[in-house]
Amino acid sequence: MKKQGKSVTAKQERAGWMFLIPATILIFIMSFYPIIQALLTSFKTGSSANMQWAKPLTYNYTRMFSDKLFMRSVTNTFLYLIIQVPIMLILAILLAQLLNNRDLKFRGLFRTCVFLPCATALVSYSLIFKSLFATQGLINSILQGLHLTSTNINFLGTAWTAKMVIIIALIWRWTGYNMVFYLAGLQGIEYSVYEAAKIDGANGWKTFWHITVPLLRPTIIMTFIMSINGTLQLFDESVNLTAGGPANSTITMSHYIYNNSFGQGVANFGYASAMSFFVFILVAILAIINLKVGDTRD
Amino acid sequence: MKKKLLSVLLIGTMAVASLAGCGGSGSSTPAGTTDTSEAATAAGAGDGQHSLTVSAWDANFNIPALQAAADDYKANVDPDFELIINEVSGSSDIETAITTAGSAGDYSQLSDIVLFQDHYIQKYVADYPDAWTPVEGADIDWSDFGEEKLSYSTIDGKHYGVPVDNGTCIFAYRTDILEEAGYTLADVTDCTWEKWISIGEDVYNKTGKYLLSMDGDGNDLPYIMLQAEGASQWKDGQPYIAENETMVKCVNIILEAIQKNALYLANSWSDYTDQTLQGDMVAGVMNGNWIIPTIKQVADNSGKWEITNIPTINGGGGYASNGGSSLYITSNCANADLAKDFLAKTFGGSTATYDKALTDGGVITCCISAGQSEIYKQGVEYFNNQPIYTDIVEMGTHVPVVEQNDYHYDCRRLVAAAIINAAQGGASVEDALKDAEEQLRFQMGL
Repeated sequence: MKKQGKSVTAKQERAGWMFLIPATILIFIMSFYPIIQALLTSFKTGSSANMQWAKPLTYNYTRMFSDKLFMRSVTNTFLYLIIQVPIMLILAILLAQLLNNRDLKFRGLFRTCVFLPCATALVSYSLIFKSLFATQGLINSILQGLHLTSTNINFLGTAWTAKMVIIIALIWRWTGYNMVFYLAGLQGIEYSVYEAAKIDGANGWKTFWHITVPLLRPTIIMTFIMSINGTLQLFDESVNLTAGGPANSTITMSHYIYNNSFGQGVANFGYASAMSFFVFILVAILAIINLKVGDTRD
Repeated sequence: MKKKLLSVLLIGTMAVASLAGCGGSGSSTPAGTTDTSEAATAAGAGDGQHSLTVSAWDANFNIPALQAAADDYKANVDPDFELIINEVSGSSDIETAITTAGSAGDYSQLSDIVLFQDHYIQKYVADYPDAWTPVEGADIDWSDFGEEKLSYSTIDGKHYGVPVDNGTCIFAYRTDILEEAGYTLADVTDCTWEKWISIGEDVYNKTGKYLLSMDGDGNDLPYIMLQAEGASQWKDGQPYIAENETMVKCVNIILEAIQKNALYLANSWSDYTDQTLQGDMVAGVMNGNWIIPTIKQVADNSGKWEITNIPTINGGGGYASNGGSSLYITSNCANADLAKDFLAKTFGGSTATYDKALTDGGVITCCISAGQSEIYKQGVEYFNNQPIYTDIVEMGTHVPVVEQNDYHYDCRRLVAAAIINAAQGGASVEDALKDAEEQLRFQMGL
């Protein structure tokens, strides 16, 4: 029976590799190669048609720390992160808990409603929020109709309201997305655990805090990492909703990086790549902290 | 069975999606009428002996001008000629196209001719010298063009571009609203900014309309005001902002005008055009004359507008120029002689081209002889039969040449941000401008 000289396992392994090769090659060409190129570019300066090694080599990396505008974009991004991510995740977990209730009628409908914002394209929803919060937009009409304000508020033209609008938009867009992960996590918790808790006299809050949260821990850590990662790379909202304005008060890191490569006709690819690696390092550090904090092994 | 069906469906959609991705993008609209099927397939350069491709933006302005030129050349020079116009959504699309082509070192996807913003071209020629073909040798009488306009497209003594439009600034007013508040056009002509602000305040209180609006994000106002004074934001290639007395005065005037409701700053360019201009929020518009087609979109206001010059700090009319673009031949043009001949015999001074560009697109020439054509002398109904085109060409001759810089738009953005910070954040004008200058020097690597 050893005609082909190869065992079944070897054959299977070979088949496995064959299946993996196309994806691997594509990832290498489309992702890893550009990453390496970007790293090299980040040490260069000059016009993109004729880039030279920077002198000193770390020029682009030191430059960003004295760039006030970039530092402002870092501050803005962290502001979004610190305010938006906790609110969004708490809302998501509460909604998931509510919609996991077996006695709730039209559960499917409600779940769909909460998830639906995630089906909207980022640009479209940004533009919708832009028109909602425009000086003569719906929100202003409602506020005036209810006699809460007497004049139109320039939401997107004032620094702190523009930031708020971005945070509100982000919460609207991403809460349902995170809720789905929590719902999936909740499915994995035995209903008998809750019944046992009920018999032991635990109230809703105690059940939530002592059963749901600990058992959802891996999911919570995952959503945290994803949200941090997503917020640090925030781009669409800053570009489409406020265009970074007014006076760059809402600009995000990715938006500033884009402006340095394409947005303003300057094409400073070296500097833009260096800033991208700064974001990359930030994401990595935050993810590691998150994993360490969430690690339950002693 | 269900799974099989599903996977077949998925593969089907994937295949369709990937095929669609390969399909051509961009909308090529042939300007000539001869067999378009063959020529329209050329994505980059037009390779025939009689066809050229051109990329441009603004369907209300530049595109009709190009169409006029194509018709002119076809009728008077080459009956087989065809111009394939690739309309892009804005000037930045062409800048990005050059940037990416330059980074890749492959210019083969560029159109034969591109429309390019005047303020950026010097930097792009310096950064991507291989992307362009100078128009040297073309049969064009350069002395027939406005000096200020040519100063942008002339690099190291070589002509790189042929001007299309004329960026002379106008200040258009709604005479009916001025009248309602008790003023006439004469009151705002040759006036000082001080008087202008008091009129503006009055107009707002009586009619609820602002006398002027600007895009707060990319505010052209400081630049225009400075040029009207004959001053610049630059001095010997360096930013000249915080120490620049005229600049500080202008910014203070802008802040006072905002405070007294004479001036409204929109959040973005689209807010500026859609809300303030077409939404009828203002009694006055000041910008390069390319803004006229936008004003005209509101048909109801026909006959109510008139134009005049810009106020200055000490009175006496101010003249300035803002924006505008020229046509440049790229290095990808296979038939540069045809391109040069086309530009020379159309935008190089043909009245047929410029007359039609004016009537169809409202494009005003900076070619002096073409501006003397009969059609320029006609009154324009929308502007109460004022012969605005002759007026604009005349105003253009007063525009002072001031020092320019490749970092014009960076400067504009930073000064605009300084104004918003001073108006909203309560920062002092000195500090805000100092910040702007510092950041600008940083961006320039000084």
